[in-house]
Amino acid sequence: MQPEHIRKRLEEALGITDLVWTASLHGDSYLVVPTEELRRIAFFLKEDPQCAFDTLMSLSGVHQLGEPELLEVVYHLYSIRLRHRLVVKVNLERPLALSHFYLRMNSVSEVWPGAGWLEREVYDMFGVHFVGHKDFRRLLLPPDWQGHPLLKDYQESKAYRNISTIREKAAPTEIAPDDPRISVKMSTSS
Amino acid sequence: MSFVTEEMILNMGPHHPSTHGVLRFILRTDGEVIYGCRPDVGFLHRGLEKIAEKVSYPQFMPYTDRIDYLAAMNCNFGYALGVERLAGIEVPARAEYIRVLVVELNRIISHLISVGTFALDMGAVTPFTHALREREWVNDLLEELCGARLTYNYMRFGGVSFDMPTGFLERVGNFLDYFEPRLDQFNRLISNNKIFKERLSGVAVISREDALDYGLVGPNLRASGVDWDLRRDEPYSIYPELKFEVVKPPSHTELGDCYSRYWVRILEMVESTRIVRQCVSKMPNDSYWNRSKKKLKPPPGEIYVRTEAPRGELGFYLISRGEDRPYRLKIRTGSFSAMSIVEKIAPGLMVSDLVTLIASLDLIAPEIDR
Repeated sequence: MQPEHIRKRLEEALGITDLVWTASLHGDSYLVVPTEELRRIAFFLKEDPQCAFDTLMSLSGVHQLGEPELLEVVYHLYSIRLRHRLVVKVNLERPLALSHFYLRMNSVSEVWPGAGWLEREVYDMFGVHFVGHKDFRRLLLPPDWQGHPLLKDYQESKAYRNISTIREKAAPTEIAPDDPRISVKMSTSS
Repeated sequence: MSFVTEEMILNMGPHHPSTHGVLRFILRTDGEVIYGCRPDVGFLHRGLEKIAEKVSYPQFMPYTDRIDYLAAMNCNFGYALGVERLAGIEVPARAEYIRVLVVELNRIISHLISVGTFALDMGAVTPFTHALREREWVNDLLEELCGARLTYNYMRFGGVSFDMPTGFLERVGNFLDYFEPRLDQFNRLISNNKIFKERLSGVAVISREDALDYGLVGPNLRASGVDWDLRRDEPYSIYPELKFEVVKPPSHTELGDCYSRYWVRILEMVESTRIVRQCVSKMPNDSYWNRSKKKLKPPPGEIYVRTEAPRGELGFYLISRGEDRPYRLKIRTGSFSAMSIVEKIAPGLMVSDLVTLIASLDLIAPEIDR
């Protein structure tokens, strides 16, 4: 089924009108869905026999700078049964001044269990909270890590558990003229 | 008399010999039986996705070698394909054939390590030395091409960095002539070994539904009975011109168990030798690199490109804003989803069978952590 038909089917079956289809000249086109409807849409996309998106290829976060500043969560879906694909995006507006203010959205880990780890990774890297996730914590970084590194405005702290994160420049080594290392080098070359 | 048992937390890793890199499992066990398993990953996290936003498109190529160092060519290939599709770069036919040739050679040696370490984890040390001996030959061949034996940095946008040296194709043919009987020998040595077979049969069965739900890919998915291969079903490069079979788990194995995952890899090596032979005989004679002097700035847009790597689907999600560096690059790897299913499959297994499970999934830690 073509993505355009999938959108029509979603609108008819679920009665959602504010789906935005963005066609792209280069690369993939995608469908932007409202945040609060995501879980319903996800269940429908998996269960509906005409959609049957049985696998979640990828789930990624994207920090889009600009006006407005957005955090996108992107779902790449594929149906092995029907051999079609769909890119679904959810846009979360990021409150600028409140970097500690966490963004929330629904988890789809009940629909595609493989999303569980991918959502943990998005939380780890972007700080998006997924509501309804059964085992929600950081995945790759240590639990006490500060900040979310893939945000464009991420500032790495100077130290982690008293281990410096700043790479020191090596001091130039001074070699005396009578250093044995020099004579060794010369003797091998001659 | 009642017999009281007690639950124990067992820490496995990060430096366990069977964990193929640095992985840690926190197990809840009662005796030898696992009741809960929490994989702890991230020890090899190098922030590749953040680095990608800081370096230009060509500069990121060497980093892709480090996604999966046992199959660096495949990672090179996936990334090059993604950028080429986004930027609309044409690749000459010879370059395409060289690419598929090296990628399939890399698949052979990656699967050799996989089945070799699998046997090693089960306590059979000799097969691993046989696998390494065969792998050396391919390492030598790839070294002839690009000077490196493990992290190749061989692909470029629009081709490959060096043409093949004279006599290279004959030497590839020699290797295949040598390798095919050796694979039979390997099967006689370990694959059909009665003890090995009984050790793996029926252990850690992954059903078709679980495999799809957790997004298993590649050999692991095929072993669970899903007839799916990106090279055939979402063809890229010159794969439509080549004849090969998508491997199905053989009938003497139980669908989805460790032994079928093992056998899918053995049979895939046979298919890869077929593909390499066709590349050798069909090799065209045009340019190996459609080289552009201009700085690469793909037009704004986004693309998700996936290729069939030895550990399954390797996806690159690229977003360009028209700059000389990716705005965002997400790497989706096969080991990541394979690792996430361990939590689900492990309860009920014996501790020693967890080793079997993770060896059969062909997990590689740097690919999970990136």
